[in-house]
Amino acid sequence: MENTIKVERAILNLTQDELAQNIGVSRQTINSIEANRYVPSTVLALKLSQIFGKPVNAFFRLTEND
Amino acid sequence: MNVKKIMECEQKRFYKIINFRLPHKFMVIGIVVASLSIVMMFVRAFAMEGDTEWLKAVLKKTLVIGMLVMSVSKDKQEDEMTQSLRSQSYAIAFVLGVIYALVMPYVDFGVSNALKPEGETLKDLGDFQVLVFMLMIQLGFYHNLKLFR
Repeated sequence: MENTIKVERAILNLTQDELAQNIGVSRQTINSIEANRYVPSTVLALKLSQIFGKPVNAFFRLTEND
Repeated sequence: MNVKKIMECEQKRFYKIINFRLPHKFMVIGIVVASLSIVMMFVRAFAMEGDTEWLKAVLKKTLVIGMLVMSVSKDKQEDEMTQSLRSQSYAIAFVLGVIYALVMPYVDFGVSNALKPEGETLKDLGDFQVLVFMLMIQLGFYHNLKLFR
């Protein structure tokens, strides 16, 4: 799974730390999600969707390996 | 109470047990207890005289308790990723613990017989050795996984 969270975060001018605080996770978790090392749960994906004001599949997409 | 409600109740109880964690401050308590136990083990071995087998038995228990407290203590910032990493570390600790318990007696037997003609007889590992190994693997893997996340 790939994501464009870094881009969405930049659009809202949020730091990793600010985004992490908004959705109640650690900064390292945001960093891991952005680097595609960790796939978040549906709850976390929906929280991100709420923050970005976009549907989940606007910033998460499946890759050939999935 | 109908069957559905009983099942929901059981399910809630299961999740309560699965999600049980001690507050973060217990991590420090666990470290102190485990460290003191190790220090006292050295003191007992090299600086104490007389029959101290009872102390050895007590220290083994306190070391396991200290490490268990460290293992079940929450992180400063607990989130779904740390929970996932913790689950992975428990899984690998369990698998390696079983392998260790199966293989280590033969390693001990082989080494002791290679060094001395009348080496030790083949015997199973004690519970302390297996538990400490599993807790060490769990704590080590968890903190390393967290470091490399």
